[in-house]
Order: sequence, then structure tokens, then C-alpha cells
Amino acid sequence: MAADWEEIRRLAADFQRAQFADTVQRLSERNCIEIITKLVEDKKLDVVFTLDGKEFVTPAQISREIRDELYVHGGRINIVELQQIINVDWVHVENKASDIAKSDRGAQLVLGQLIDDSYLEHLAEEVNDKLQEAGLISIAELCKSYDLPGDFLTEELSKRLGKLIQGEMDQYNRGVIFTPAFVARHKARIRGLFSAITRPTPISTMIGAFGFQEHLLYSVLEELVISGRLKGSVVGGRQDKAVYIPDIYARTQNSWVDSFLQQNGYLEFDALLRLGIPDPSGYIRKRFKSSKLLFLRAACVGQALVDQVEASVEEAVSSATWTDLQPILPSCLSVEDTGMLISQAIRNTSTQSSARLLGGAVVVSEKFISSCLTLFDEALQQKAQTEVKNNPVFLVTEEDLKQASILTESSAPSKKEKREAERRKKAAEGSGSKAGGGGSNAREIRIRKTKKKGRREEDSDEDYVPSHNRFSSNLSIRCCSPTPDLPVLRFHRTPLTHTSCLCRPLTKNYQEVLRTVFMSSSSSASGASKKKSMKDLQEEITNLYNNIRLFEKGTKFFSDETQVHITKHILKTVCTDMTNILVNFLAADLMMSVENPCTITNEVRVKILGKLSEETKGPLLKLHNSLSGKVREVTMQLSADASTEACSHVCVCSRQAQFLHRQALTEQLKETEDPALVLHLTSVLLFQASTHCMLHAPGRCVPQIIGTLTGKIPTQHLLSAYQSLVVKQLVSQSQDRKEEQDQEEAQGIRAQLRTMTPQVKDLVLSQKKASVSED
Amino acid sequence: MADDATRRTVSNIPLLKTHAGPRDRALWPQRLKEEYQALIRFVEQNKAADNDWFRLESNADGTRWSGTCWFVHELLRYEFRVEFDIPVTYPDTAPEVAVPELDGKTAKMFRGGKICLTEHFAPLWARNVPRFGLAHLMALGLAPWLAVEIPDLISKGLVIHKERNSG
Repeated sequence: MAADWEEIRRLAADFQRAQFADTVQRLSERNCIEIITKLVEDKKLDVVFTLDGKEFVTPAQISREIRDELYVHGGRINIVELQQIINVDWVHVENKASDIAKSDRGAQLVLGQLIDDSYLEHLAEEVNDKLQEAGLISIAELCKSYDLPGDFLTEELSKRLGKLIQGEMDQYNRGVIFTPAFVARHKARIRGLFSAITRPTPISTMIGAFGFQEHLLYSVLEELVISGRLKGSVVGGRQDKAVYIPDIYARTQNSWVDSFLQQNGYLEFDALLRLGIPDPSGYIRKRFKSSKLLFLRAACVGQALVDQVEASVEEAVSSATWTDLQPILPSCLSVEDTGMLISQAIRNTSTQSSARLLGGAVVVSEKFISSCLTLFDEALQQKAQTEVKNNPVFLVTEEDLKQASILTESSAPSKKEKREAERRKKAAEGSGSKAGGGGSNAREIRIRKTKKKGRREEDSDEDYVPSHNRFSSNLSIRCCSPTPDLPVLRFHRTPLTHTSCLCRPLTKNYQEVLRTVFMSSSSSASGASKKKSMKDLQEEITNLYNNIRLFEKGTKFFSDETQVHITKHILKTVCTDMTNILVNFLAADLMMSVENPCTITNEVRVKILGKLSEETKGPLLKLHNSLSGKVREVTMQLSADASTEACSHVCVCSRQAQFLHRQALTEQLKETEDPALVLHLTSVLLFQASTHCMLHAPGRCVPQIIGTLTGKIPTQHLLSAYQSLVVKQLVSQSQDRKEEQDQEEAQGIRAQLRTMTPQVKDLVLSQKKASVSED
Repeated sequence: MADDATRRTVSNIPLLKTHAGPRDRALWPQRLKEEYQALIRFVEQNKAADNDWFRLESNADGTRWSGTCWFVHELLRYEFRVEFDIPVTYPDTAPEVAVPELDGKTAKMFRGGKICLTEHFAPLWARNVPRFGLAHLMALGLAPWLAVEIPDLISKGLVIHKERNSG
């Protein structure tokens, strides 16, 4: 028991001892990390922990490891890779790597890679192997295959050129390394190729065709050119447009130009451009400083050619003929240049006043032109005579037109209008001639003929004639060139279509001649006998006026409708005549009178009226307009027309007029055999006899006249029977005579008429006697 | 109930064999010897694991035990006196460990600073009579209680570190 307690006491002591024994100081991982962090923070410890947090590494260890890794990897290692291997933070690896690169002369940091000298040596050896194999190696290629920057490679390799690398670098283009053998090979090829070149050749195409190294080519080429091995020059620097021009080419060019000029006497700029001379005129000026060349727009001409031209111009002038210079001049000269050259020649020979340039290349002497003009004189005279005789009105209007057209000829825009006006005029003429009668018709034909001639002439030379020329020449030929002249001109072989110079004087001359001819003719007619004609006119007008009044009076016996018919008839015949006489008289003052006033138509009248002075124009225009109105208005118009002396009121005994009228009608009746006319005249005479009024009525009013006569004369049944017979005959005449029976009937009627005609005539004639005796 | 470390620790503490209380004159020394051996073993083990956290000593007959225990929280060491009696019914009833300094500061304590262990520890103890001894009491009773209660009390400001208090 005591032992137990003893034991217990011992155990208690053990317990105490155990309790006060040193505890093993164990730090947890957490604590350790904390402690070390604290220490690092306090700069008491310099360690780096790995990324997995399991190890601490001292910087020295890192740098040692980096060096080891660098060695293991053959002298080149990427820092990223290094960081993965060492497994510490990127920053530490980079710092250490840059430290190494700084401290160690053999190592350097390039593009995030640590590179050793041994690696570079190795690289240089490799490059050398490749170079020896290929003869040429470009840095860019190396950059790609080694994944290193070009500058770095260039620098490192150039350091080792000649030692490790058996080759050289292009001076201008440091991106290429080549071996001397390669260069020599290249040089030989270039020498051969460029020696063979005889014409300007773009270097870029050579490079493409023969696979030269561009950089090498230029340097070698330059060297060869400078040394004189290659005779030529490189133009355009070292770019794509660089061109090699061999001396031989320039020499040939020059000799070609020389010989061309010598042979042909001119140089065309275009040809030089084609030869590859960029500034032809400058080139020529430089090359032919001494010789006198005439520079034109697109070519230059030698003295010989100029002399030749001058000589022919002089000859043409002195011999009073013309000359075509086209065959002398080179064909390549443009029209403008030709003109310049010839005018220069004319100036040189000082024949400006006596020579004229036509159609670009033809020189005509003034003498020749004037001689040509004289050829026309006679013809002009003839033509003017006929023209004056024909129709002065047309002449005048045409002349006016012509003058207008000549005035406006120079202004191009109006040409069309002019042409149109011309056409219209022609149309008017056409209609005029149709209505106007024989004289103008003949003229129309003649115009057409000449026109045809003119056109034929044009056709033959159409190539030379510009279209507007054609127009004017057409016009003038139409107006003035008499047909026989054309052969004359042809005989002279004149370039007739260059006749603008000829045409204008001709038309002028023609006008002149025309005017003198006309003046002479009209003045002789009008001058002395003016007073006499005035008197005649007065008388005539008065007669007509009286007649009209009497006729008008006569119409009043009829119904309205018939009255209108009759008035119209009067207007159409007697009144128109009177107006025409008036107008013609006035027109004579303006030398436009027509020989036979009856031929004046409506249009002609209007034309003449247009020419008259304002003073006389008004009343006459009114008169003209009223011709389409009523007869009364005409007469009123006439009496109002104070300005025309022709209208002075002269009273003539109406009876005398009646008598005269009847006399005329009876004369007519005596002569006529046509039953219708007989009836007409008879009825009119009877009407006059019974009413003592004159009547001027159309044929279709005869029934009405007879109607009014009924009851006034005893022999009316005879008259009406005759009338019915006449009607029958007219009807059968108007019908086609197909039926035989009608024929007989018609013959019967005719026989009846024949028997009755003397009776009817007697009716009037006997009455006439009676009335005469009555008077 | 306890974490792995505790379980390992406990499994390393030798189990007791003698079923005897202080009153059992014949067998109590036997029991006491086993208690001491277990405690020594436990302390050694703690020290080996750098987990030394208490000092204990008893009176001569081993019925009354006293000492200190400490707890490290946020790098500060909080130390408390600890004492307990061996009840007469021992080992059927577990001793009631008291931390007098904390009396009245926490609800999980009986009057007189006896820590409240009934809920978890008592049934465990009851199941393991007589194999559990004082070492188990310390490992499975006081240690978890301290681990739970002390940080709570510190955060509530009821327990203040002495140095800081003085400082």
C-alpha cells in the first residue's frame, strides 16, 4: 500500500516534470509564412517564394538557375519559358535576366529572350553554311527562320562577317549577305546582258525576266557604268521606273533625226516622241542650234523647204497664176501648220498684197483673181438684162435677200434661219410663178437649171468645201453665175470652190450691173413720159371708177342674193383691175413696175405694197384688203384715197359710159356664135335697155336677169324659149354622151338654137336701133 | 462531437482499467497511478504537438486538483486558474471543473465557476466509465469549452488580456 502511494508520489513528480519540460517549439506552416513575410517586409531577409508557395528561393539561386537553364537550352532561352521552369514570379526572373544581361558581356536580352554568345556563334556558323550553299542570303529570311529582329541580326552578323561568315554585305542594302562568288557570277551576267542592250530598257523588266537581285543589280550596274565597261546610263535612280539607256541608242536616235531632217527637210514632233524623246522642240533646239529651223505647231521645217515654198509662191505671183503647195509640203503637216508655213513664206517674199492663200494650201495671185472676174463681165450684163426684163419685183426682193444674206454670212448661227428663209422664199416664188404666168415660169426653170449646175460643181469638189461655204457659193452661183462661165473656170483649172473670194466681188459686180441696167431701162421709160402716163392713168381710173359705180347701180334691181353674186363678180374683175393699175403706177416710181398690170396677183401686190413708202402704203393697203369685201366699200375707198392723184374726181357723163358699154357689148354679140354667150350678152343688153342701168354680171346670174326682164319687154317668150334650149344643151354637154338617142336630141336642139340665134340677136340689135333712134 | 485532432489525441491517451473512487482505499492508489500515467502521456503528447495548454497538480491523496490553463487567441495568451474536486462517486460521476475567474461572465457555467459540461460531455463520460480519466476530462471537457467560450467572451469584452489591460 505504501509502495503504491510512493509510486503515486513518484508519478506526480513525473507529471510535474513532464509538465514543465520544454515544449517542442513547433511552428505551424501558417506561422512560418507569416514570420518570413514579416522578415521580408522588414528587409531582414531577401528571399523569393515559388509560385506554388512551397519553396523559398534566394536571388542568387535564381540567377544560378537561370544561367544553368541558359546553358541547357543552348544559349538561347525565352524568359517566359524560364519563368515556368524556375517557377518564381515573372518580375524576379526578368530582373535577374536583365541583371545577367547587364553584368555578363556574353549574354544579352533580345525580344524577351536571353541570348548567349555561344548561341550567336552557332547561329553565325549556320548562316555561313546556308550562305555557302545559296550564294546569297537575306537578313529578312534569317529573321523569319530564327525569329530574331533584323537590326540585331544585321549587327551581330556584320560583326562576324569575314570571320565566321565568308561573305559580304551590300553597301546600299544591308539586308543581304552574299558570297564573292555569287557577286562575280551576277556581275558577269549583268555585264553581258547590259552590253547587249541597244534600246532603252526599264530595269524592272530585266529584273523580272532574268531574276537579278535588285539591290545587287543597281550597285553592280553603277559600278560598271562608272568604270566605263558599260556604255550607257541609268536614268531614274533606283526605283521601278529606272531605265537603262545605252549610248548606242542615243547615237542612233541622233543620227536618225539628223538624216530625217536632211532627207525630208522637216521634223515632226510626234515622230520624235515616238522615238522616246520627251521634249522634241527643246531637243531640236539644242541639237540644231546653228541651222535655222522654222518651228510650227507640231513640226519644225528646214530652210530648204521654206525656200521651196517661197519660190513657188513667188513664181505664182510673178506669173499671175495660182499654185497648189500641197504636193510640195510634207503630208504630215496639219492644216494649221501648213497655213503658218505658207503665210510665213508669203511674208518672207513680201508678196502679201499680191497673193492670197486659199483653202489652206493654195496660193493665188490677186492678178489672177481679177482676171477671173473680168471673165464674168459679159455674162453678168446679159443676165442682168434678162432679169430686169423678166420681173423686177422678184428681182428686187431677191436682191434684198441676197444683201441680207451677205451681211449675215460671217455670223454662223443665223445660217440655218437664212437657209430656211431661202427655202420659204423659193416656195413663195413657186406659187407666184404658178399663178403669175409665163414670164416668171420661164425664170423659175432657169433658176433650177443653174442650181443644178452649181450642185454638180459642188459635188465634184466637195472634199475641199466646208458646208457653209457650199451654202454661200450655192446662193451666189444661183444668183449670178451664168452657166457658160463654169466651163471657162474649169478650163482655167481654178479651184473653183475656193471661190468665196471670187463670189463676193461677183455678186457685188452683179448687183452693180443689175442696178445700172435697171436704172437705165426704167429711167428711159418713166422720165420723159411721166406726165403723160399720169394723165392716161387718171383717165383710165376715172373710167373704171365710173363703170364700177354704174355697175353697182345696176345691181340694185336684183334680189339680195343675186346682188351679192354680182358684186363679187365686179370686185373680182373691174375693181381688181383698177387696183392693179394704181399699184403698178406707184410701183413704177420704185422701178418695180410690171409690163402688163393684169398679171399682178394678190401676192405680188402685197410684196409691192411692202416696198412702198408709209404715206401711200396705208390707203393702198386698205384698198387691197377691201378687194375681198363689198364693191361699195371699194368705191368709198377710192374716193377717200386723196393721196393718190389718180383718184381725182372727174365726172363723166354716165350716158356716154352706158353708150360705150353697150357698144362694146354689141360688138361682142355680133361676133359671137356661142348660144350661152349670146344669151348672156342679149340679156345684159336688154336689161340695160329696159332699166337704163349698166350691168356687169357673171354668167350664172343670167336666169335672174331674165327673171327681172319678164314683163318689161314684149319678146320675153322668145327669150325664155331660147334660154331653155341653152340650158338643155348645156346639160347634155355636161353629161357624157353615151346614149345615141341623146345625140339626136342634142342635134335637134342645136338646129333649133341655130335658127333661133339670129332671131335673138335681132331682138337686141333691132332694139338697139330703136333705142339709138330714141336717143 | 470533437474534431479529428482531438479524436486522435484522445485515442492516444491510454484508457484506465481500475474502477475505484477516493473512498475505495484499496483500489484508489491503483486508480490514481493510472490517472497520473494517462495525464503524463497526455501532457507529453501535447508538448510534442506544440499544444501545451495547462498545468495541473493535486493534493497528496489526489482528491483535489488545481492549476492553470491558457488559450491563445489572436496571438494573445489568456490564462485562467482552474480547479476541481474528485467527487466521491468518481469515476461514475465526472468531476466538475471550475474556472472561478469567469464566474458570472457566461451563461454556460454553474455557480462557483463550474463549467457546464452536462450536455455533451456527461453522456460520453457515462458511456466510458471507468475507462475515461482526468486526462480525458481535460481533453474532451475543458478544451472544447474553452475553444468555444473564450473567443466569444473576448469579443464581448468580458475577458480582457492582462497586458493590454495594464498597458
